Amino acid sequence: MIAARLRGRDALVSRLEEALREAGGDGARAFVTVRQGEHTRFAGGRVHQPQAVEEVQLMVTVDRGGGAARVATSRLEDARAAGAEALRRAAALSPGHPPEEGAPGAASGSFSHWHEDTAAWDAGARSQLASVAMTLARAAGATANGMLSRVLVEMATAGSTGSAYLRATEAAATLLVRQGAGSAYRGDLGRSVEQMAVEELVRSALAEAAAARDPEPLPPGTYDVVLGPLAVGDMLTFFGGMGFTGDAVAAGAGAVATRKGQPVASELVTVADDALSAEVGLPIPFDIEGMPKVQVPMLDRGRVRGAVFDLGTARAAGGTKTTGHAHIGREEAPCPTPANLILRPGSSTTAELIQGVDDGLYISRFHYTRMVDPEASTFTGVTRDAAFRIREGRLAGPVASSRFTEEVLGIMRRTDGVGSQLVSQPIMNVWNGVASAPSLRVRGFRLGFR
Amino acid sequence: MNQIATDSPWAWVHSEAEAQALAQEAVDLALGRGATYADARLVEVVEERLYAASGREPDWRLEQVVGLGVRVLLKGAWGFGSRVLGPATQGIEAALAAVEMAEAQVGPSSAVLDPLPAASGRFRTPFAVDPYAVPAAAKHDLVAGLLEEALATPEVTRAVAGVNAKRQRRCFASSEGSWQVQELLETGGLLQVWAARDGEVQRRSYPNSFHGNTAAAGWEYLTELRLPAELPRVVDEARALLRAPILAAGTSDLVLGPAMTALQIHESCGHALELDRIFGDEAGFAGTSFIRAEERGRMRYGSEAVTVVADPTTPRARGSFAFDDEGQPARPAVLIEKGIVNDFLSSRETAQRIGRPTTAAMRADGHSFMPLCFSTHVGIQPGEGDLDALLERLGDGYYLDMDRSWSIDERRLNFQFGTEVAWEVRRGRRTRLYRNASYGGVTPEFWGSVEAVGGPETLQVFGLPCGKGEPKQWGFVSHGAAPILVRGVRIGVAG
Repeated sequence: MIAARLRGRDALVSRLEEALREAGGDGARAFVTVRQGEHTRFAGGRVHQPQAVEEVQLMVTVDRGGGAARVATSRLEDARAAGAEALRRAAALSPGHPPEEGAPGAASGSFSHWHEDTAAWDAGARSQLASVAMTLARAAGATANGMLSRVLVEMATAGSTGSAYLRATEAAATLLVRQGAGSAYRGDLGRSVEQMAVEELVRSALAEAAAARDPEPLPPGTYDVVLGPLAVGDMLTFFGGMGFTGDAVAAGAGAVATRKGQPVASELVTVADDALSAEVGLPIPFDIEGMPKVQVPMLDRGRVRGAVFDLGTARAAGGTKTTGHAHIGREEAPCPTPANLILRPGSSTTAELIQGVDDGLYISRFHYTRMVDPEASTFTGVTRDAAFRIREGRLAGPVASSRFTEEVLGIMRRTDGVGSQLVSQPIMNVWNGVASAPSLRVRGFRLGFR
Repeated sequence: MNQIATDSPWAWVHSEAEAQALAQEAVDLALGRGATYADARLVEVVEERLYAASGREPDWRLEQVVGLGVRVLLKGAWGFGSRVLGPATQGIEAALAAVEMAEAQVGPSSAVLDPLPAASGRFRTPFAVDPYAVPAAAKHDLVAGLLEEALATPEVTRAVAGVNAKRQRRCFASSEGSWQVQELLETGGLLQVWAARDGEVQRRSYPNSFHGNTAAAGWEYLTELRLPAELPRVVDEARALLRAPILAAGTSDLVLGPAMTALQIHESCGHALELDRIFGDEAGFAGTSFIRAEERGRMRYGSEAVTVVADPTTPRARGSFAFDDEGQPARPAVLIEKGIVNDFLSSRETAQRIGRPTTAAMRADGHSFMPLCFSTHVGIQPGEGDLDALLERLGDGYYLDMDRSWSIDERRLNFQFGTEVAWEVRRGRRTRLYRNASYGGVTPEFWGSVEAVGGPETLQVFGLPCGKGEPKQWGFVSHGAAPILVRGVRIGVAG
């Protein structure tokens, strides 16, 4: 096999320094991200999309006080040209502005979230596992579809006050087993593939799909529910849009601007963006502006606490420092964004949460959720894959997909039980974004059109 | 036809001869390693974006990506590899990676690609004004002026204005002898305004809410958008929404405006007709479809008023091209003919499974990823009459436009969409404005209730990004949309 070739700290930082020399020093900063991903995607009884994908971006930013000029290239050898072009553009954007001083307190040093088990999880091993999943599914009268991925990540930042480098591994597994009219899904991601126990994901998905194969239509109504970790994590992905970001605070909109300190959720619910305290999700200790990440409590035992900031929104807010959450979304204006959201686990197993429901539902997963009203935290979506009635504290028959329109904070307000096991999933359109959550037991979840 | 200036440091890195040599080298290596088919795409992209957003300084960025993606078919197994290109990273590694991804597969593989004759040619997007040659000051003054004027208005708390341009050269070589060079250019703009009062926040957008609008054109498209002229209306409507009542739940006849119709086409028609979804290739992530391949020619998808065509040869449409990303020539294809499913968005492999020619819908995000079936330029065929005539025919009901939220299930059946604006229509005239409008339904029932489609003079083209696949890649698509009159739709479904 072609060995994945890490560029290494010296090679990447020296490119950034070349760029910065051309970009004029103070007020300039640069980052580079390298992702070497291998993805084994399977469906229909075969691996249909095996990909080995390399993505590289070096970006130089020159901020002269009147605006930020950024130039990015995939060609590391063009670092100098990128720096020079960024400087030229900054002068055009802010004629007469002197260079800004570099932001103090930049991250410095080398960091690692590298796991050899993930690095060694090669295409052959992933293909073998995909084959096992498809074979077991076929033997059970089902089909298995999914993806097994390994990504090697390097990231470096440099500015006038320091440089930082990270090397990390990333493992991801998704599996959807379809049986009859039912299906079951498992997904997880993290730095270590061994900690994900992918084989167990396969076994549990097969078992759940067998139980879910003949779903009955579900009458619209309000139910007590246990939401699986993936459904709960899906809700976390909306925190960025609900006012837990610096730009929303500046606009006076959303939860932090209008309800800081107020109780909006159950005391059982604590949500933070945390890339530091444990290796949950895909933590990275600094952002693309080179600033160290800090833990940002968003909901602390149900009360609204804080928002994530980047340099720009912190400066605009005044008296606030960046929390290390700079983000540039594709085809979007830059905006600070939560990237490693965690809903703190409780002490109950999912089975124990289910035991606390006399007549209700277990919902494993949501699909195609979208925010309807950020101020009210209203979102809509459908349930997807395994969902079951709960009768007298036990799972009963499977139920079909239903639409719902609910409030994220309303669900968290009506939560009276929190599971103990975290499951991680990507946040769509956020580079390296992950939401990790346990199960929740929620009283009064409304299904059906309103 | 104009050409992009090539004297900037961000001009094409490789000459055409170099690109062809690199691509051919990759194809030859794959064949030498036992591949029965191989193609290579050398893609160079230079994208520029300037955003002005309240609460932060203007942000102007230029992004260049240069790379090679190689797809191989080896012993019945697909493999794909991509690498960024530079002196130290030769494209040959992409071919090796593709071969090794194919060789790593365990178990039976039986993918077959029926041979096709070589298709070679070149294409360049027609345009009048090179967006990269527009002076920086003109771009900055435009977005800064929009932002300043919007934020000077009472109750406006937040605004975003932006302009964007992307030029790309996509070079394609295949083991069947194809050699294609496409130079694609697109230009777009965005304006969004948020107004707030007593805890109520409302947004209004122009020319569309999701990433604005982008056309396969030059800066002349920005001029045609008349962003400064539209700003007062956008601001006024955002403020008016603060005082508007909520659209209550019920059932009503509707006219959907062109922007909303475009999203309805995208979500419930385009995705539902992707043949890879129909065959289950996306079951693990985006989902499947309620349409089955064997129902072609029989399945009633909508009313007789509904004819939907995929036509990637449409000028100025973001989803247009001359060749798709497996080298197949673009051509028009009627997907829905008078309400009956007639064809699909297909690739070579999926099309041959149903014994049809591909509709050239295999597309990839730059060089990096394996092509998938995406929408191209998919549009509804116009009917007759202008918007006033359609509202007159509506009689009493509501006129809804521009998406505010959207959700649809994994089979593309059960949908719920929210819109930025809704006007009550009484006796064919727009009257009162409503906020937080939403509607929902089931795809074939909804399209089956379409009574009329606006005429050619009402047709607009919307270009937008689309996400698909694992790992997710972006497709850049477009939809031709006219307002549609739909009877008996559930409204106010989002509460």
